[in-house]
Amino acid sequence: MSFQEKSAWIMSLALALGGAFYFVTVSAMSAEINQLAPPTIGAVVVYTLILIALAIIGHVAIAVFAPKEANASLDERERMIFARAGNFAGYVFGFGVILSLGMYLVSYSGNALFYGVFASLMIGQLSEYAARVFLYRVAV
Amino acid sequence: MAKRPPIGNRVRELRDQHGAMTQAQLGEAIGVTRQTVIAIEQGRYSPSLESAFRIARLFDVGLEDVFSWNADLDDA
Repeated sequence: MSFQEKSAWIMSLALALGGAFYFVTVSAMSAEINQLAPPTIGAVVVYTLILIALAIIGHVAIAVFAPKEANASLDERERMIFARAGNFAGYVFGFGVILSLGMYLVSYSGNALFYGVFASLMIGQLSEYAARVFLYRVAV
Repeated sequence: MAKRPPIGNRVRELRDQHGAMTQAQLGEAIGVTRQTVIAIEQGRYSPSLESAFRIARLFDVGLEDVFSWNADLDDA
């Protein structure tokens, strides 16, 4: 498995764990007040810190075992994989944003709009890393 | 599902003929990762024209001595 593929797995795991933390926190806050809790800076900051910490720890761990690969720039196949995965993620993110905007027109809930767009961002990023892992394993 | 490119190659055979060159050594010589060399050899990736020429020049053979058109996989 290449360094970039391992990196994609690490980022997928970090995004999944960070996202799970964020939405469990929001669910708990919402349960307390019996309605959708407004977004808070604290939860977003903690989510970001979890993501950064897991990304740094994970990448340092894999770089220790393959320092040469870690410092190498992307080759032609990897550049193509990154471009295709990024393109796919763009569609996923765009679809999520449009869905969130559509929901806003029905519910007029700014909080739901924030969570919808934020979730779209997370899912878009997750789909980008998942697409990289997939493309590394199939014919490109 | 991504389809395989209709291009066959003799990269592995040529590596063996040139002192059992490793995939990593070939990758380093032409500027790609070992994983990309593996993908080329398994027919999962068609290299760029530049990399194809680099491989042919490295083994001192013509481009068509390395790569060939595989009509069986051509569904264009």
